[in-house]
Amino acid sequence: MKYILLMSGTSAGVEGYHAWSKQDIEAHMAVLQRINKDLSASGEFVATQGLADPREAKLIRGEKNGMPVTDGVFPESKEFLLGYWIVDVANAQRAYAIAGQISAAPGPGGKPTNMPIEVRQFAAHEKPAK
Amino acid sequence: MKYILMMAGKRSEFEQYATWSKEDLQANVTFMRAFSKELKDSGVFVSTEGLGWPSEAKLVRAGTDGEPITDGVFPESKEFLAGYWIVDVESPGEAYRIAARASQAPGPGGKPSNMPIEVRPVLSSHADLGI
Repeated sequence: MKYILLMSGTSAGVEGYHAWSKQDIEAHMAVLQRINKDLSASGEFVATQGLADPREAKLIRGEKNGMPVTDGVFPESKEFLLGYWIVDVANAQRAYAIAGQISAAPGPGGKPTNMPIEVRQFAAHEKPAK
Repeated sequence: MKYILMMAGKRSEFEQYATWSKEDLQANVTFMRAFSKELKDSGVFVSTEGLGWPSEAKLVRAGTDGEPITDGVFPESKEFLAGYWIVDVESPGEAYRIAARASQAPGPGGKPSNMPIEVRPVLSSHADLGI
């Protein structure tokens, strides 16, 4: 079963991350890279993607003439997606365990960030006819 | 340049979607399929995924013993990711035009849903963050 593990944060949270020391960022990234490597080795890795800074985010709607209407103002409480992992695992518990590992990645001073990771299933495809 | 185009909505919006008529849902799905095909035909398509219902979403944190702590309670205002496309295009303007097309997907009665699509550049490596 495939699951997507979503890491999100507010603009303030992202700014906090920018203030981390180089060593703290490197330690954090080393753990995330090791998790990716472990998932590849176990055959559970499907994809991962990091997103750019929320300051570059735009909200788009279509006008009647098809032209995009662009808005770049978000509420302070807005949770921006920072990155995701897609894993193919035996069951939901395994997806939660991987999310727990990501949440335990070290933050400033080597303490676990304890960031919440949202775990979601994919949309069910059409059920086969009986 | 790769961009991610995201559709998100509150739980109430997902619940509303679940009440659309069969014809309206069918028209929406038909549009989405044609839209993905267009992206593939024009060579900008990278990937797309649709996510399951928010009622199945869990929030997971690491416990001190290494065991995951699972929570399924979210605030009403929480925006759940519904699906996304990743496209590889020449400029942000092209990504915005594609997002505008997605925003025009038909809703109830065939009227454009006009839902907002969040467009973000994606990182090719962590060095792109510039920190």
